[in-house]
Amino acid sequence: MVLAGSNNVIEPVVEKLHELNLLHLVNYSGADEDFGMGKPLSKSAEYSEQIIRLRSIERYLEITDKMPDRQFSESEVLSQMDNVLGGLGDEVISMAERVAQIDNDIKVKQDQAASLAPLSALPVPLELLYGYDSLAVFMGTVTSPVEADVSKASYVSEVFASGSNAVAVFAPVDKAGEVSGVLSEHGFSETSVPKNLTGSISSAISTLESEVKSLEGERAPLQKKLKDLKAQNEDTILAIDEHLSIQSQKSEVPLRFASTGNSFVIDGWLPVDQYETLKSEVESAAGGRIQIEKLGEDEAEERVKEGEDIPTKIVNPSIVRPYELVTRLFAVPEYKEFDPTLLIFIFFPIMFGLILGDVAYGVISLVVMFMLKRKFRTPGWQSLINIVIIASVWSIIFGFVFGEIFGPLGLWDYIFSGSHHAGLLGTVADPHGVGTDFGTGFYGSLGRIGPEIGDFAGGMFPMYRLATASVLVLIGVSLFIGILHTGIGSILGIKTELAYGEKKHAYFEKLPVLLFQVFFGLGLLGLIVGGSGSTHPLVLLSALVVVISMIMMVMGPEGAMGMTHVPFFVSNLISYLRLLAIGLASIGVAFAANQLAFYVLMPMVSGAEDVHGNLTTIAIVIGVVVLLLVHFINLLLGILSPFMHPLRLHYVEMFTKFYSQHGGGIEYTPFGYGRRFLKE
Amino acid sequence: MVLTDAGIMYGLLAVGAGLATGLAGIGAGVGEQGIGAAVVGVVAEEPGFLGKGLFLMLLPETLIIFGLAVSLILMFAWAPFATLL
Repeated sequence: MVLAGSNNVIEPVVEKLHELNLLHLVNYSGADEDFGMGKPLSKSAEYSEQIIRLRSIERYLEITDKMPDRQFSESEVLSQMDNVLGGLGDEVISMAERVAQIDNDIKVKQDQAASLAPLSALPVPLELLYGYDSLAVFMGTVTSPVEADVSKASYVSEVFASGSNAVAVFAPVDKAGEVSGVLSEHGFSETSVPKNLTGSISSAISTLESEVKSLEGERAPLQKKLKDLKAQNEDTILAIDEHLSIQSQKSEVPLRFASTGNSFVIDGWLPVDQYETLKSEVESAAGGRIQIEKLGEDEAEERVKEGEDIPTKIVNPSIVRPYELVTRLFAVPEYKEFDPTLLIFIFFPIMFGLILGDVAYGVISLVVMFMLKRKFRTPGWQSLINIVIIASVWSIIFGFVFGEIFGPLGLWDYIFSGSHHAGLLGTVADPHGVGTDFGTGFYGSLGRIGPEIGDFAGGMFPMYRLATASVLVLIGVSLFIGILHTGIGSILGIKTELAYGEKKHAYFEKLPVLLFQVFFGLGLLGLIVGGSGSTHPLVLLSALVVVISMIMMVMGPEGAMGMTHVPFFVSNLISYLRLLAIGLASIGVAFAANQLAFYVLMPMVSGAEDVHGNLTTIAIVIGVVVLLLVHFINLLLGILSPFMHPLRLHYVEMFTKFYSQHGGGIEYTPFGYGRRFLKE
Repeated sequence: MVLTDAGIMYGLLAVGAGLATGLAGIGAGVGEQGIGAAVVGVVAEEPGFLGKGLFLMLLPETLIIFGLAVSLILMFAWAPFATLL
């Protein structure tokens, strides 16, 4: 929409627009000769000065942005502003500058004392070391005795030396060069003599040290005072900062308008349904002396085709909102594109849970995240923490499915039943079978769900992830998630291309990818489940569709080059195997920890037959310490990789199918200010 | 010479599976080495890049997944090999 009005009403209009917080302003580019840039409102310079002064006070008090403890009304802020910027500000700045001065003095004196320390044994008072016209003085340390050589170089000379290789050499000025040469042969390193000190060197050092002490004594109360002032005024100062930021934002905004001598023109975007509200509010604020016009639907379409950046407003329900962080990290969707945040909300936590899949790890990360949530209260951190919290819940759910608490057969099985690793694993001789303990976990015979089909001994619950049959099932599950995930990506890709009116791209570039990935994946699944040489009709059908999709790619806009992407699509699918692989790596470590503690360390230290024998206290302590240590390391790794890898699956495998083909959009950021320290 | 001993065949299968994962791991490591160095450099100048950097670090890890997939198929999933046992 476009707003045009007389300069007389610019202030109320700006005030109203800011209050409504609806209009996404488009900066005037200065392209039109008839219009110049607008000028800032009258008080702009004053606000800027106040902000600069306030920011310097903030810097001295070391105030950084934080969540507000209380909110202020406008009048409160105005009444306190003069005091803070005036008296309080002067006090803070003078104190902080004094502290900086003291810091500097202390450092100088400490340096002097440190450089004099090696010379402290020399029997020469400091005031005799400088101020000569005809004598050159060399003070410092040498690596070997110099007396004999110096007297050779200059007959008239005096050398004071002490045990610690410190020397003070006096020589006539005209012999200075030779003496200096001799000294450097002996590894001389010079110490500069402070000119303002008198007395013997050791007493000078103790004077310096006592001065440092008294300066420190002066500094401590000042620092405490600054800290107190910070504690008292932190919220007030941040509230004033917010007030001034708003004022200066308002007073400088005309710089973004186009203007003539007597009028101004504002160009901007807003959600269609808000147009009437904004129009009536602004018109009444300006007393009718303003012209507001809306862009027609057709014209908006036209502008999209021309490639103009139309801001995108991202709207999601509050539980999904944290995942906008993930979306933004990649790119803001364009005006006509699909916002994938909801999809991330669905898939990301499931993938995280599938990888981590451990009740105890999930609970620990949940507890830690709730603790961090109270500590890090900026919006970015809050989103991140909320993401991990939702993911942890899924991890607990999958932990029950896999029967894992601190790893497979960890505390879970040790406490509740006597199933053994070997009993649950398929054997070498019978890779598709399962051991004798199958289905004897915590859920007992309930764990056997479903009938026996061929080689597979029915279902199992909890599903022991290290067993051969489970690995096969999880390969299938991972691939299946991959087919679903990339499939949805491709469908959105087709939809986006159609929205931009690119029919050829939609049907011959995006559609074949969808067909290829879905049917290639299904065929692969069929081969794995059915064994090689499977001639099941569905496998043959999949192969047929894969061939058809490749032909479609050749017919597409890129021609034969379209085929070159095929390896990329295959690797996309196989990439989803990481859902299984990373989980296996993590339970491998957890399994090793449990074996080490329960079946190696504890029986070995106590000399018992196995873990169910008599264990000594020290054996249990050692076992538990090792157990916790290994699990802690595993948990640290175990939270990072289930987070990063699903992220990658979204960015690389899914988003590339549909997202921001045209370079990313601009987010809708209306002119206004989110108030935190000020009351609305 | 024809190998008929099932034990030796299974051993060779296991060695093959190990090589598939291990060599793929080395390859992924070599790839990540360069990316990691570059990411550390960028993050030193621009800390906001950490998220994108970590994500770039993960790109070559697909390689090792391929290796692992081959190993899994060798060890568990391919019927001709399973019949050898």
